[in-house]
Amino acid sequence: MKEPERLLESLVTGKISRIGQLEISLSENGFILCHREDVGRIDLQQCQVDDAVEIAKFDDKDRYRPLKTAPTLRRGWKIFANNSEEASRAIDAIYPGRLAVLHTFKGGRLSTTSLRETLNRQSGMYRVAAKISDEQVDALVGNFCRSDGGCLRTILWKRDERKTVPSAKLPPEKFDPAADQMGKGETCIPLLCQEACNLLVAACRDMVKMEGAASSAP
Amino acid sequence: MNPSSSALLIIGHGSTVNPDSSVPTRRHAAEIQNRNLFADVRCAFWKEEPSLRDARFFFADRTIREVFVVPNFISEGYFTQTVIPRELELKGPVTTRANGQTWIYCEPVGNNPIVTKLLLTRAHEIAPGIEPTETALLIVAHGTELNDNSAIAAKREAERIRARGEFASVGNAYMEEPPLIANWDQLTNAPNVIVVPFFIADGLHSYEDIPKLLGIERTGPEIFRENPHQIRGRSLYYAKAIGTDPRFADIIVEQTLNARNLTHAG
Repeated sequence: MKEPERLLESLVTGKISRIGQLEISLSENGFILCHREDVGRIDLQQCQVDDAVEIAKFDDKDRYRPLKTAPTLRRGWKIFANNSEEASRAIDAIYPGRLAVLHTFKGGRLSTTSLRETLNRQSGMYRVAAKISDEQVDALVGNFCRSDGGCLRTILWKRDERKTVPSAKLPPEKFDPAADQMGKGETCIPLLCQEACNLLVAACRDMVKMEGAASSAP
Repeated sequence: MNPSSSALLIIGHGSTVNPDSSVPTRRHAAEIQNRNLFADVRCAFWKEEPSLRDARFFFADRTIREVFVVPNFISEGYFTQTVIPRELELKGPVTTRANGQTWIYCEPVGNNPIVTKLLLTRAHEIAPGIEPTETALLIVAHGTELNDNSAIAAKREAERIRARGEFASVGNAYMEEPPLIANWDQLTNAPNVIVVPFFIADGLHSYEDIPKLLGIERTGPEIFRENPHQIRGRSLYYAKAIGTDPRFADIIVEQTLNARNLTHAG
């Protein structure tokens, strides 16, 4: 058994059985995964572990989901996993990389990277993203990363080396691994965010470009 | 390769708009995982999740001593030389992590000579029973992109196939620069023309843009099942992107063996 699988098994056995919009329940022969809002429904479509990638790919309106931790996981399905290896594989397809990051965090070895460091590292078309102002970061992150409609991850990174929070517009729970980002107050396995994602970097770039275009307009 | 202590990380570009972009990379990973050659096989992407940054935290098991990183890219270039090493914090061909784990950075799949063989095989597969001496082969790349090494790699492949003397002609064409793929009928003389997109995945270019430029009226994944298309007085055979070939999984494995030989040679 791999380390993240061992971690998952211990969490689920200890009744911590939610991650993002997923509910994981122990069954006689393994694990059952479904959408948290679908618990108790008897009309769910039976799916295989290998279907998880496709489940995560499109939302309920068949729109592509480039950000897998967006609160738009489709409903109406359930996956049976025979063991923790299969359950981990399904979770990893729905929330890619999150179990590995959680395992590193639990082991006290997770290093985080500030947004400024991430932006300053960029090259090519994304180099310009570093020109974003602190005020713009505050507004952008406050909207882009918000759990209600943006992203369900718990932010662990700071804005800069001065350890400033990335956005004063986000509630303290957004930075608390113990908080339920779905706002239900339930105990959850957190979806940890150790560094700004490529989508946020791209959004920073867009904001800089947009302002550049606006200021050069006649 | 030691299946119990080696892991494989396959890097793809991915896309925030094209759901099919990462499909070949994921398929190759699943295929290789089934062969039990590695203790673990994972993917990471520049534009999708898991990200390259997330991948630094994979392979936590202490039993995994070496991680082979294979870029599933059609050529050497900006991504393989700048972005991937930077994001994965690789210091060169071999990087030793703080925990003693060794990460071995392999060459991109496009560098492997098997690609030439796969282009040939694909050409024969989509046009079975067609006389090669009455057939022209066109390899299509994007062109015009910054640091477009894929165009150079496509040229190299065309030269290799041309040297075999099998086909009436073998040429390159591009979407946005001459020789334009839109002029495919002027670029070739043979009654049969095979067009193979030199991309790692299918997507907007292979489903819509290139078919339109070729004059194929329909677009979408089904066009690959409708060969030959009778257009401009020729029989046109249009193939899927070369990187969708399942045999790319063999290339990925071979890239790890090549890197191992190189890194252990000295």
